Amino acid sequence: MTDTALRSKPNLDTASRPRTSKREGGRSRSAQLALNVLERTWLIVVVFTVWWAVSAGSSNVFIPSLESILVSLGRDLSNGVIASGATYSLTNLAAGLLIAVAVGIIVGLILGETKRLREIVDPVIHFFRSVPQAALVPLIIGAFGIGQGPKIYTIAFACMWPVLLNTIDGVLGVEPTIRKFSKVYRIPRGLHFRKVVLPAALPQIVAGVRVALPIGITVMVVSELFAANKGLGFYILNSSATFMVPETWAGALLVGVIGYILSLLFVVLERRILSWYFKSGAK
Amino acid sequence: MKTSTKSLDWGLTTQRLLAIAALLAIWQVVIWSGMLPSMTPGVAALASSIGTALTSATFWSALAQTMTAAVSGWLIAVAAGTVLGLLIGSIRALDRSTSILIDFGRSFPVLALMPVVIMLLGATAQMETVVVALSCLWPVLVQTIYGARRMDAAVADTVRTFQIPALLRFRRILLPSATPFIATGIRISASIAILVAVGVEVLSQAPGIGRQITLAQQAQRWDSAFAYLFFAGLVGWSIAGLLNFAEGRLLKWNRQTND
Repeated sequence: MTDTALRSKPNLDTASRPRTSKREGGRSRSAQLALNVLERTWLIVVVFTVWWAVSAGSSNVFIPSLESILVSLGRDLSNGVIASGATYSLTNLAAGLLIAVAVGIIVGLILGETKRLREIVDPVIHFFRSVPQAALVPLIIGAFGIGQGPKIYTIAFACMWPVLLNTIDGVLGVEPTIRKFSKVYRIPRGLHFRKVVLPAALPQIVAGVRVALPIGITVMVVSELFAANKGLGFYILNSSATFMVPETWAGALLVGVIGYILSLLFVVLERRILSWYFKSGAK
Repeated sequence: MKTSTKSLDWGLTTQRLLAIAALLAIWQVVIWSGMLPSMTPGVAALASSIGTALTSATFWSALAQTMTAAVSGWLIAVAAGTVLGLLIGSIRALDRSTSILIDFGRSFPVLALMPVVIMLLGATAQMETVVVALSCLWPVLVQTIYGARRMDAAVADTVRTFQIPALLRFRRILLPSATPFIATGIRISASIAILVAVGVEVLSQAPGIGRQITLAQQAQRWDSAFAYLFFAGLVGWSIAGLLNFAEGRLLKWNRQTND
């Protein structure tokens, strides 16, 4: 999974390198670049055009034309309806994810370092991880109401498991020699955690957060589709309940675009945080 | 994510049981202390409603409905994902042109499309299968592409030098080298299938375990809502365990050569 998600990165490299040296490279380089960009984007243009053309004359009420979807999307984007919803949703996502990462890393470090405890709670962890996250939504919202807090807790609960499991894996992967060094020099426990175990486990931890991110987005939307009075999911639900079909499509597509952008941003962030790791060439 | 060692260790088993007992005890204490909302069921109520669910016809038919939708969606995704993935992964030009589209698709939260899909297909089992298939497609597709793309330079040279026919190349080189990746994709998508199936049922009128959870919650039958949640977790857990076991068995040759 690690390698596939980073796939877009080398493309960026090859795409940007010719651009800087375009002047001395001459025509063939820029032609190569144009060809490269064309090769990557033609299919998207085709899909878009076909969708536009086919849906233009659609008589089905439930399949609006792409034009009307984009028009309503543009209108609600400019009048702030979507912006306020997106702020609400993304705040929930960020808060939930933060809690999940904090709890996941701390518990993961502890469990990773204590073998016996890990073995004892292993079945419990795997059971909780397997509980379908969406199924928690009716229970948590039913018990605690439709406010912001319950949504954040649901996201946090769902996102915690990948972070926790990956942290454990990362801690287990720490080089035994380094561990021995830390012991031989009697590095204090706190320092050992902060300066030895945590950095060594970080690549795995970040990979866990990357797995957690789409889960968080899904739970965010589901929690709002189930019951809410605000947010992107509410926008979709409300539009479909009031038969505003283009708006429903627009909302669903927008959530997809946001998911895509967030995953791209995460790759950038990952490169930042782990730049030492990628530089070292370790894999 | 490693599986635990499977050796039977009685001391460990006892401690595990004790840990679960401790968790249940904490749960009960928290309930008594009144920190949780009053409708949360205690351990005894939970145990009895799990027993009730096991003997009720509603539970078994809900389970069957969820499993049918999840498995059929998953199978569709596996078939489509493998075929498309092998095709895309082995043709460089196709691989490059589809990469943005596939990156977009895999990061799309498919459950957000639910209201749209419900408008098109209604809240039926068929709709549920479609949503499951759409969600499961991406892990299989991405893993298969990755597996098919990966080929040793030496192997590629050999294929070219000896002019190995396309079909033989596909059967003897592409498929074996891609199989471990495909297996991983299939395993990931299997757990996604259950999650999405239950999620769809929670959000729509589609019958199944998720629907039962929503119904029980709305009827204030909290103990049975928790019981169904427990079974949903149990199903996901057993499927994950089963597939891990199957993958380890089927791909033994790969592990041995790799490690």
